[in-house]
Amino acid sequence: MNPQSLFKPGLGKKTGAALILSSVLLTGCAMSPTSPEGSESVRAKLTELQQNPNMATHARVELRDAEAAVELAERPVASGEAALAAHRIYMADRSVEIARAKGQIRLLESERALLGEQRDAARLAARTQEADRAHADAASARSAQAQAAALSGREAEELQRQIDLLEAEATERGLVLTLGDVLFATGSAEIQGGTNQNLEKLANFLRQYPDRQVLIEGHTDNVGSALFNQRLSLQRAESVKTFLINRGTDSRRLSVSGYGFERPVASNNTATGRQQNRRVEVVIENRE
Amino acid sequence: MKTVLIRQAFRRAVLVTTLMLATVTLVACAAPQVPPTESLNMAREAITNAEQADARRYAGAELEEANRHLEAADKAVAAEKMAEADRLAKQARVAAELAVARTGAAKAAAINREMGRGTDALDEEMRRQGEQQ
Repeated sequence: MNPQSLFKPGLGKKTGAALILSSVLLTGCAMSPTSPEGSESVRAKLTELQQNPNMATHARVELRDAEAAVELAERPVASGEAALAAHRIYMADRSVEIARAKGQIRLLESERALLGEQRDAARLAARTQEADRAHADAASARSAQAQAAALSGREAEELQRQIDLLEAEATERGLVLTLGDVLFATGSAEIQGGTNQNLEKLANFLRQYPDRQVLIEGHTDNVGSALFNQRLSLQRAESVKTFLINRGTDSRRLSVSGYGFERPVASNNTATGRQQNRRVEVVIENRE
Repeated sequence: MKTVLIRQAFRRAVLVTTLMLATVTLVACAAPQVPPTESLNMAREAITNAEQADARRYAGAELEEANRHLEAADKAVAAEKMAEADRLAKQARVAAELAVARTGAAKAAAINREMGRGTDALDEEMRRQGEQQ
């Protein structure tokens, strides 16, 4: 058998005619010679992304899809097919935008490793410093009660009145004022309503007792990840701090911590319990 | 003898294939009269994905656009404009996919912002505690 003989005689008249017909039909869908109007701007957007090295590495697959979509949009269409051209341009445009967004996502994700390292470094340094301070704190805590007792009678009476006004609880750590979760909207660290009676009272109290250090501790319920809650609790504590600074408290007196859901005061299994756990505790330290 | 037979069979095959190709092309150019079920299903699926990704919050306009296209596609089906319905369904899908992508980008940006803020807060706190000592 000789395979070459299959092609030698040509394909015959009929076949030739059919081929011409089919190619005419194939190009029939795309007769007009120029690219549809509007395709240039999509091409320009795509080129810009392709030339951005971050996008080129982080959205390689999506950029390839977008390239195919843009090439299709650039293909000339017959005069009656304006709707087809518009459709292809729309698809191409959105493909380019998808590539951009996906590229941004991956770029942000790759930056996250670095952010994490920076935060770990900051946290480590903070812990080291905290440990150094712990010794000093332990010593001062022992003498705190004695000092409180040393307040003169009249002073003590006034302080008690202020404490009652503040609805704070006297504990070993100092006066603890609990600000409930009504202070914040769900998931938000912004203080609602701008003013808050409890916070105003607290600011007044701190004005009258300017020698007291204040710890502001944020706590949350256990809904969501530990990391998210830790951040949220810290931000809420920060918001309270900002509020107090705006009301004239010296920022050096205020320390903030975010404990997330590490220190619940009630069960997280009930709505009421969770509400009690979402709080900011303000600890006004006993005078040293 | 055998070669001639094979040659004839081959020619016929080429002819048939070419004609079929021509027919397919003709059909492709003409509007299909069957509803574009697959495109419509993919559009609905993409919109559901977007909604589940919370696109309403992060990419509301894109999600809205996807829904608008899908509605228009359903109307085109009712009017038996199947080619138009197919295009609209595909536009709905790609708009919903963009909604998902933009939602992802917005969430990723929010996470990075918070991470940065957390670090700043720790640095600031340390600086302050250092001053107190």
